[in-house]
Amino acid sequence: MRNWIRRRRAEREATCAEVAQVLQSYLDGHVDDLTARRVSRHLEHCRRCGLEAETYQAIKDALARRGREVDAQTLERLRAFGTRLAEEGRAGEADSPA
Amino acid sequence: MPEIDVLLRVARTLVPRPADAEDLVQDTLIRAYRSIESFDGSHPRAWLLTIMRNAQINRTRRRRPELLDDPDAALEQSDEQDEHRHSPEAVVVGASFDAVVVDALDALPDRFRQVVELIDVDGLTYAEAAEAIGAPVGTVMSRLHRARTRIRNRLAAAGLAPRSGTR
Ligand SMILES: [Zn+2]
Repeated sequence: MRNWIRRRRAEREATCAEVAQVLQSYLDGHVDDLTARRVSRHLEHCRRCGLEAETYQAIKDALARRGREVDAQTLERLRAFGTRLAEEGRAGEADSPA
Repeated sequence: MPEIDVLLRVARTLVPRPADAEDLVQDTLIRAYRSIESFDGSHPRAWLLTIMRNAQINRTRRRRPELLDDPDAALEQSDEQDEHRHSPEAVVVGASFDAVVVDALDALPDRFRQVVELIDVDGLTYAEAAEAIGAPVGTVMSRLHRARTRIRNRLAAAGLAPRSGTR
């Protein structure tokens, strides 16, 4: 019984202040399962925290859309460079006496 | 090396000039092949990011002595001037959400901007970003969260996000 009460308490949904503390980590998927459950239960009905979560998610989405375009030619040159290094490495091994 | 595109994206985040970023990746690859014997095979990306971090330290040391810097305090210090530069009436009416986000990102001090870019643009995890900048994960988190809060406040000033409510 006592365990059950303790568990209920631990599972109690997060307060607004707790959500404010962990919101960004929550959106990044960097909180433990229990915290994630407690936060999402709170976000289901609290308008203020819900808006806050939407705003931060929208910021993350905007940044992800930005993406970083890497220059295709640069990438090609670097891939070729990497391949050359790998080949030289193998050649070096073959040359060296076992 | 399957991670070359990740290395290049991260290098572009860490180094302002594209040509320097390419050099940095080359350096990183050379060092990686040199020490590949001692690599245990787990977390290749984190391993490469650490090598890149060390290569970069070496390059900046060669070029100029590291400036004395701490301080993540810089973000708060610049807050006030910033409020003036970007008072609501200075914000372009109808500025799109994405444009304000990008402006706010570019206005951040480098160490904050880099962390946001590494994680939200380049897609690194907190731990990988920590390897890339050579700082503890806690520092990465605190910079990231404060930087996003700044972006959020800019959006609120532009009328594109709710006014700060949660305390
Ligand atoms: Zn709430």
